[in-house]
Amino acid sequence: MEALSEETREQLGRIGAADVVLGIPTFNNRETVGRVVETSLKALANHLAPQRAVIVNADGASKDGTPEHLHEVIGEKVPLVQIRYPVYPVRRLSAPLVGVPGRQEAAGALFLLAKQLGARVCAVVDADLDSITEDWIDRLVSPVLDDGVDMVVPCYRRHKFDGMINSGIVSPFLRALYGKRLRQPAGADLSFSARLVDFFAGQESNSNGNEPSFVDPWNTIPVICNGFRIGQSFLGPRVVHPREVSPDLSDTLRQVLTIVFDPLDRTASFWQRVRGSEDVPSFGPPPEVDAGNTEINVKRMIDSFRLGCQDLAGVWNLILPPATLLDLRRMLRLSDTDFCFHDDVWARTVYDFALGYHLRVIGRDHLLKALTPLYWGWVASIIKELQDSDAEAVEQRLERLSRQFEMQKRYLISRWRWPDRFSP
Amino acid sequence: MSNQVGGIFSQASARIAKGVADFLPGLLAFILVFAVSILMAFIARRMIRSFLRGIDFDQRVRHWGFTELAEWSPAHSPSLFMAGLTYWLIILIGILIGMSAFDASVTQELVLRLLNYLPHVLAAILIVTVGFFLARFFARSVLISAVNMQVQSARLLSLGVKWLVMLLAGAMALEHLGIGGGIVELSFGILFGGIVLALALAVGLGSKDMVSRSLERQAGRSADEEEIAGRFHHL
Repeated sequence: MEALSEETREQLGRIGAADVVLGIPTFNNRETVGRVVETSLKALANHLAPQRAVIVNADGASKDGTPEHLHEVIGEKVPLVQIRYPVYPVRRLSAPLVGVPGRQEAAGALFLLAKQLGARVCAVVDADLDSITEDWIDRLVSPVLDDGVDMVVPCYRRHKFDGMINSGIVSPFLRALYGKRLRQPAGADLSFSARLVDFFAGQESNSNGNEPSFVDPWNTIPVICNGFRIGQSFLGPRVVHPREVSPDLSDTLRQVLTIVFDPLDRTASFWQRVRGSEDVPSFGPPPEVDAGNTEINVKRMIDSFRLGCQDLAGVWNLILPPATLLDLRRMLRLSDTDFCFHDDVWARTVYDFALGYHLRVIGRDHLLKALTPLYWGWVASIIKELQDSDAEAVEQRLERLSRQFEMQKRYLISRWRWPDRFSP
Repeated sequence: MSNQVGGIFSQASARIAKGVADFLPGLLAFILVFAVSILMAFIARRMIRSFLRGIDFDQRVRHWGFTELAEWSPAHSPSLFMAGLTYWLIILIGILIGMSAFDASVTQELVLRLLNYLPHVLAAILIVTVGFFLARFFARSVLISAVNMQVQSARLLSLGVKWLVMLLAGAMALEHLGIGGGIVELSFGILFGGIVLALALAVGLGSKDMVSRSLERQAGRSADEEEIAGRFHHL
């Protein structure tokens, strides 16, 4: 992390200290940052007035005048600190999942400033949100200030078919392995306590060029494994400004699963001891699922699965054991009407890929991208099942899936400890 | 007369005896060097076999995807293959060094030429090995990407890429070995150019219907993918 400039130090000296730091990472977000900032200012004035608040803008060298526009909107209403964060070439190679490219470096810059200001809470919101309301800031910050939570992850109101990677892989996987029932662990708008900011800032200063950096604040795994208190806040619908470039599905899967599978080695002693799962503190109104009925043609998804079975069999043979391959072959023979991807098979498939990632049976990028046709198969199956379901039925269905992941955890532990016994 | 014949025989015998006497030390030296090289080869084979077994080389080779190496190896064990390869290499070097003990300029020249050729052989082996690695990597990348894009002929594309890279590596290796000379270059150029031209013609003329159907499917797939990735987000 670059040292603070003289100008930034002077600004910090003038500000002194703050209770709340609201971080807004930006990278060419001129069109949307104004709305985000105006809403944030209202939230700070109406809901968090007693707190000393500072807005910190970490910008990755925007070319559209985003920092200037942000400065213009804020004016003198709230202290503002603007800092540059480096966007390394490797971060530009693929489109980011959410937020700005190089968001880890942006977070590092925000945490550094939050620590300098002695802030009790640091909240981070995306600059391209179209649906942000005043309540968002309050619901992210108050649990940290008032309830002793170290990290608040968001829970958005989503359509039942939104966030399938989250519903089908990330949430049940993290629940089974790390024992926390987080509805949407891969959220973008978060808040952190001072204790957690110190932890992340310490991680970054310890990481060197040889070890993979553990500093990805959007990853809840290190937070859970290091005993911090994690909660979730219901924020409402999340609508972002459409981007010019979004990652395609296989790249999205690769990025997400890298974040989820990478820590498995380091945290093996933790997740192998966890039994069952528990609820985390929830804030805000009860979460809602938009169960509006939408006709989606699943035929192409099923065809994608079949094409994968046909052409990627050689690759899957290196990753999946014979029992799982047999189940997939059985599914291949099903008609479109009868097509079904059972929860236990899906859970074991995800675990097999996690193990394959750990053992490096093939190149990791290839391994993660090879999951795409299987993911399409699962999505097709779940869409067929939930096409006409209401919100409660959707919740129950996803709960059954999560329980299946918990039940199959023994399978993962056995294969992890004795890979030769189960090797494909 | 008989004295002359006897004298000729004794001179001939003396020349033969001298020739044998000149040859014998070289032969003894060759046998000694050969025996030492066999002993060293034996020791090296044992050491390499136990080292490779210690680092679980057979399992690692399978994990790296070199299943063909495992299949071609004796007893399907790449460790045994590498140990055996080292064994015979040391014996071969021992023979070459032993041959230099003979005081024969032809033999010495042969040994020198073989030793000069050895770096080219090693470079060719390296080129083929790297080519093999790259061919597998590119083939797998193309296969997975094509399947994810729902291209029906994904396997064919992958195979084509694999063989193109292997052909390129093979041609470069043969050029290093000095085998075939201009014929290899010309053949490769014709083959490669022919493949590229055929692909261009297929896309431009012969397969335009197939391409347009594939593009329609792609657009249709994109429209359907947008149903879930445009209206809905996967993450």
